[in-house]
Amino acid sequence: MAHPLLSAAPGDIHLLLGNEAIVRGAVEAGVEVVTCYPGTPSSEVPDTFFRLAPDGKFSFEYSTNEKVALEVGGGAALGGALTLTTMKHVGVNVAADPLMTLAYIGVPGGLVLLSADDPGCHSSQNEQDNRIYARLAGLPVFEPASAQEAKEMTREALLLSRQWQQPVMLRTTTRLNHLRGPVAFDEVREPASAGEPVKNPRRFVPIPAVARARHVELLKKLEEIRAWAETTPFNHVSGKGGIGVAVSGISRAYVADALAELGLTDAVRVLSLGVSNPLPEKLCAGFLGSVNRLLVVEEGEPVLENELRVLAQKQGIGVEILGKGFSGLTRLGEYDTRIVAAALAEAAGIARPAAPACAVPAATIAALSMRPPNLCAGCPHRAAFYTVRQVFGDSAFYSSDIGCYTLGILPPLAMADFLLDMGSSVSAGCGFARASGKPVVAFIGDSTFFHSGITGVINAVFNNHDLLLVVLDNHTTAMTGGQPHPGVEVHAQGSNACRVSIEGVLAACGVCEVRTVNPLNLKATRNALEELKGMKGVRALVAREACIIHARRILKQKPVQTAYVPETTDSVRACLDTLACPAFAADQDGGVTIDETSCTGCMVCLQVSKDIKAKKRGNK
Amino acid sequence: MSRTMRTRVFLTGVGGQGTLTATKILAQAALDEGLAVTAGEIHGMAQRGGVVESTVLIGGYQSPRIAHGEAHVLLGFEPLETLRALPYLAPGGIVVSSSEAVPPIGVARGKEKPVPLAEIETAARACAAAVHFLPAISLGLRAGAPQAANMVLLGALCAVDRLPFGLARLAETIKANMSPRLHDTNLKAIELGAQAVCEAKSA
Repeated sequence: MAHPLLSAAPGDIHLLLGNEAIVRGAVEAGVEVVTCYPGTPSSEVPDTFFRLAPDGKFSFEYSTNEKVALEVGGGAALGGALTLTTMKHVGVNVAADPLMTLAYIGVPGGLVLLSADDPGCHSSQNEQDNRIYARLAGLPVFEPASAQEAKEMTREALLLSRQWQQPVMLRTTTRLNHLRGPVAFDEVREPASAGEPVKNPRRFVPIPAVARARHVELLKKLEEIRAWAETTPFNHVSGKGGIGVAVSGISRAYVADALAELGLTDAVRVLSLGVSNPLPEKLCAGFLGSVNRLLVVEEGEPVLENELRVLAQKQGIGVEILGKGFSGLTRLGEYDTRIVAAALAEAAGIARPAAPACAVPAATIAALSMRPPNLCAGCPHRAAFYTVRQVFGDSAFYSSDIGCYTLGILPPLAMADFLLDMGSSVSAGCGFARASGKPVVAFIGDSTFFHSGITGVINAVFNNHDLLLVVLDNHTTAMTGGQPHPGVEVHAQGSNACRVSIEGVLAACGVCEVRTVNPLNLKATRNALEELKGMKGVRALVAREACIIHARRILKQKPVQTAYVPETTDSVRACLDTLACPAFAADQDGGVTIDETSCTGCMVCLQVSKDIKAKKRGNK
Repeated sequence: MSRTMRTRVFLTGVGGQGTLTATKILAQAALDEGLAVTAGEIHGMAQRGGVVESTVLIGGYQSPRIAHGEAHVLLGFEPLETLRALPYLAPGGIVVSSSEAVPPIGVARGKEKPVPLAEIETAARACAAAVHFLPAISLGLRAGAPQAANMVLLGALCAVDRLPFGLARLAETIKANMSPRLHDTNLKAIELGAQAVCEAKSA
């Protein structure tokens, strides 16, 4: 039986993750092509499409990076297909180049770009607000605030994109992607191409003469879309009174709950903007003119606030506008009902709700032992990091990259000294080594290598840089949940027939010294590292062993043996101190044990301490 | 229990403890009961021993978040995480928590001292109107698998009379949404969890 996301009937109600609701919305619109690069908080969108793909009427791919995903998606839309391309917010930086062009030339088939932003940095390196990208590129922006709306807006955004022939941004934040709520389904539209592609280089090839003309067209289109935004039900005004609130994104949920808690639901006028770009100026000006005081509630940058200030100034509306900097509304992190309720109360001139009082002092809570995310017990990265530290200690600088292995930052491994973005381990490592004269060891995962490491390697060879590159190949895209990439052998839906070889790519890029080891073999890894340490130029170590989660779920490997500690000795304690495997536990008397449930039987610890032994699982 | 009762439940635990499955089942049970529900999760680091916090808001909330001082019930899957999450509790709130620790890495490495359970219980009692600590993993094991600790806690949650539905609804939702081979263990687990709360109440 097909999955309910594909087959469920109109009127059915399902409890869906925001990301699953986006998938259903795209299916209802009749999406034909889906491309992506995975990244939290967007990943469940492509992962759900991947699972549905055998029964779906769409083409799906994990692209090698976000630029490629948007180019394949853009090409598909030029070819007439209704297309969805998904990524996390920082992925849009990678995809920014094609994005800027797509809005100029337009997309006959229709194209929606999902940008999943991450205010609060739950799993990202910054809090960038991609509503600004949409304004830079000239994209209408849809910002859902519930699971139901995620479905509706995805569907409408796709269908309108085809109607307008313009790319549209579906902009979410982590809370929307990862909320769960009931979603009432609608009809599934049969996928249908926009028609045979027609050659039209005077539109689709943005040489300067074309680009200048297309910019005119883009601005015209945005005015048409602005007229649509004036009347769409996604934008509406409710309530009454002299105090106004203009709100967008997930903050609409916080405002609704806060008004209810304050008993202000009917005492405040709310301008709720589901589509804030292009700004519906008539609707907004009417609203600005109807209140004495306006509070703008939006997470991130003051995007809506600034546009409303400009509008008020242009139209000579003398309303008082409050936004960032007012009553705890900052550009940082996420909002919640409490933050929003305090601002609403202050704007409305009523008593602020009492600040929460916890009997446990904040300092006590802050001093509790933390649980930083950690490399798993048995993770091959831990073994590779251990050996690199044995060989280089603190004499080298460690250029890190984006993936599970960034967690190597934690002591005692301490294997991350700087990091910029996906693929930067290679190129930033080169620059650092050249400027500082220090030895640099760069770490890059297999998926990140294919994402954007390769151009850095070519540059390193071409410009004669001095770098030891360690490719941590764990056979999957582990950090985001085990998605396939060009180098994998097998994935959740079978084998990869056209596997791309990392060693082959390195050799073709001109890296002459490449060694491959299993990092769980400490001695072989150490020997290879010692040899490469003595060389100059660009050289690479491929440390290859499957991620333990991939091994368990996909390769169906079951550990037979477990490590155990017959007697705690200094060497066992030293092993815990230097390897810090989470399967180990030290009791308060200094005794060390290994938890059989956590131990994957990697046997790295046996190579570190002769006093740790192996036994069959379950044997006493 | 009242069908119009509005309840914010804050769930906290450690990656691998099944908090997200519990979140999904609890939200589904509310939906099956015909109630408005919104739930929230933070993913990403769950596999790697990090803290996993999630929310279930029943009775007509639009926000998937729970701020400090807003949770009517704090459902803790691990005692240290229960302690850490106490600021989320609303005045008059209820704490339902596992009493069995999963040591954080600093404690496991012998670098930091564990917080004694008695201290955690005292702190919880200072913040909450009612506090229930129960050995969720052991009870899960008694039901058939230590992984059923999450269902033990959901059973216990149903027994504190702060949800607009009870154990029977939870059992139906488990049967309709989880693999049949898990039914016996999970149904037993919610019974044991509820029983642990009821026994403590009558004691």
